[in-house]
Amino acid sequence: MGIAALVVFYSSAVFLVAASFFAFKKYLAAPVHLHWELYRGSSAYELSDWWTKKPRSLGNKLWTAGLDVLFLRDYYRRNRSFWYFLETFHLGIYSLILWHVWLFGRAAAGPVVAEPVGSLVWGHSAFALALVGSVGILVKRITDADMRAFYPPIHFVKWVFLILALGGGFYAVQFHFAGSMSGALAYVREQLAFNLAAKLHAPAATSAHLLLAAPWLVYFPFSHIMKLGFRYYHFFRWDDVPNVRGGLIEKKIGQALGKRVSWAAPHIQSGRTWAEVATQIPGETPGSETK
Amino acid sequence: MNKKRTKIADISRGREDQLLEIPPGELSALPCPYEKGEGSAPVPAIPEQHKEKYDFSLDGVSALGLPKNPSPEEQDRLVEGFLSGLRKLLSKDDNWTFWQQLVLSLEACTHCQTCNDACPIYTASGKQEIYRPTYRAEVLRSIVNRYLKKSGRAFPKLMGCDIELNWTTVARLAELSFRCTMCRRCASWCPMGSDNGLITHELRKLFSQEMGIAAKELHAQGSVRQLEVGASTGLRPKAFKGIVEFMEEEIEAKTGRATKLPVDREGADILFLHNSGEFLSWLENPIAFAIILEAAGKSWTLSSELAGYEATNYGVWYDDVQFARVALKQIEVARKLGVKKIVVGECGHAHKALTVIADRILTGENNFPRESFLPLLEDLVCNEKIKLDPGKNDFPVVLHDPCNMVRLMGIVEPQRRIIRKICPKFREMEPHGVDNYCCGGGSGFAIMQSLNFPEWKSSVSGRMKMKQILDSFQDVIRPEINKYVCAPCSNCKGQIRDILAVHHAWEKCRIFYGGLAELVVNAMVDMKEPFITWEWR
Repeated sequence: MGIAALVVFYSSAVFLVAASFFAFKKYLAAPVHLHWELYRGSSAYELSDWWTKKPRSLGNKLWTAGLDVLFLRDYYRRNRSFWYFLETFHLGIYSLILWHVWLFGRAAAGPVVAEPVGSLVWGHSAFALALVGSVGILVKRITDADMRAFYPPIHFVKWVFLILALGGGFYAVQFHFAGSMSGALAYVREQLAFNLAAKLHAPAATSAHLLLAAPWLVYFPFSHIMKLGFRYYHFFRWDDVPNVRGGLIEKKIGQALGKRVSWAAPHIQSGRTWAEVATQIPGETPGSETK
Repeated sequence: MNKKRTKIADISRGREDQLLEIPPGELSALPCPYEKGEGSAPVPAIPEQHKEKYDFSLDGVSALGLPKNPSPEEQDRLVEGFLSGLRKLLSKDDNWTFWQQLVLSLEACTHCQTCNDACPIYTASGKQEIYRPTYRAEVLRSIVNRYLKKSGRAFPKLMGCDIELNWTTVARLAELSFRCTMCRRCASWCPMGSDNGLITHELRKLFSQEMGIAAKELHAQGSVRQLEVGASTGLRPKAFKGIVEFMEEEIEAKTGRATKLPVDREGADILFLHNSGEFLSWLENPIAFAIILEAAGKSWTLSSELAGYEATNYGVWYDDVQFARVALKQIEVARKLGVKKIVVGECGHAHKALTVIADRILTGENNFPRESFLPLLEDLVCNEKIKLDPGKNDFPVVLHDPCNMVRLMGIVEPQRRIIRKICPKFREMEPHGVDNYCCGGGSGFAIMQSLNFPEWKSSVSGRMKMKQILDSFQDVIRPEINKYVCAPCSNCKGQIRDILAVHHAWEKCRIFYGGLAELVVNAMVDMKEPFITWEWR
């Protein structure tokens, strides 16, 4: 059990880092795309010479994105009954992540003598929020015909597995460590010290928790919440940055127009670059004046 | 309502039966004087000669006129072409234009179905499963997962992608890409930013750019014709010049002043670009703009060059290459004339296409200033640069918001400030602004007239707009009072004309329609006679 849990957990951790890196790289390396915006109100296009107006600042965009990710504000506006469970779940998960960061940080900082005040309540509250949220989401997904429509069966499995993982963590803290955070911290400190004997002979409760948690490390880079963050990136929302002559956007467009067109329909006349295909109309002699 | 659920996999099955037949009475209700309902099917029965020839297997409607029974070899070739196009859609190099939005839209959907009730077609149709914004997106997602990803091949049922890709799937999906107006209200509603309108766009693109399948009104009679003869309406430069002469006569008759309209005037401040449909169907709109611009003493011009008198760009609805070709032609005309900027007239999709979307294909000298007519008109009206008497517009007016101007471009307030200034009986539709409903003619529907598609778009895609118009005029619905639906977009105007005509709303309720510039000229102090003549056309 010990060695299996170790292999699975550390492999998952490595996967999390690598997959997150490639996920970011995938979007950072995306080519410039056509300007396909949505607006929630007035924009610079209401003004004459709109290209001279200052666009939104990056800070403003990040602030909006942060609030959306934290509070899932569009679910609140558009799908309130789902939001109650979704937000409860996400607050629980965010809180659990922070709790684990604290757990590892505190364990690494040095030996724990006294029981840390409030840490057990924090952990259990986060667990309770995540559990109530995830059970609520699962029940809603099963009972609501609209929410069930097109929902792939694998996702039902996902929620059941998540509830098990949450339960595993709660069991380890509350029963294996008997609700003693100093005990849990001592255990984590031992693990962080890479004491091989301790690692290979880890208790069943903590090993089981690692095994149940490991798939979530693998899943995280592909999770929807990551996509929610990405939607704000790279001029995807509220992009009023004009393409000015000689600017960075124009440079990127120039690169994209140099790509070869491969589409097969006859009117495309592929095999040339986008710049050539877009300026040479089928039936026209290249370079000829239009009549 | 206990309705049979159409599953994703059903799209591949039962080619001889329609996937959907909308039962009579399921369409959403309309208010007074239509509260008793039509009691008929949303589309008439298909004539036998059409039934044998064309594919109606989606919902009994054909927008594309696809053949009913291609040979097995042809079916294989088409399915292979579809898969090939799908691979290109998901390639950064082949589809740099929309790769990022497409991939995010495919990956981000949580299947929460929040977007469904935002869709006017889904709700007006009585919530038919295949009209959910998510249905076509999910079909595409399932094909991608099943045929292009290893996990889907191994566990199709578990991964929710047990779909079969055959000619039935491809043919129905092609039709289904023309049951969405790409108004993107669903995208605006989506908490995750998944854009089902964009998925419709990408599907249409795949069919056009890879397989050569497109609605003939958009391609052969649309962008191809525009590039060949100058306008998607078929209007040629010589005929255009004749129309301008007629406009001058009309202006003289209406204002009492002889006017020479500027055509191909080099070095003017503004090249004014109208939808050529205005010159053929609603000439009063370009006439109204000409009267306003002349009265304000603006330096402006029209162009008689090929593509210079046509603002439309149908490529924006189905084909990136055609879109780029048209946009570059329009820019070329402006450059050659040496004007300072292009101002787009009352055409919603032209606003979005030339001003916003084209912003990411223009480089160097083609990166040319372009903007909406609305800031200009607002300046002239609200800063009283022309003399206006709001009392002349003493009739109820409601504003229709073209999706391309509001939700897709963020031009929300100038049109309202103008109307509030000149129309004392202005009222809003609910909802309006960025939350508006599409007229039902978006993404080319307004001009598509194939087979029984016009009946479908009048009774289903335009139904929500009809309801909104009627709701806004309920306090004055009796036919003794003339009412005006202001639609500052040529295609919206065409669709609103069609839905009002189908419901005989002019005869029953005296609901009329027209543009914004006409309201401004109607209020001009200098006009001796009313500019708006209330003659149905």
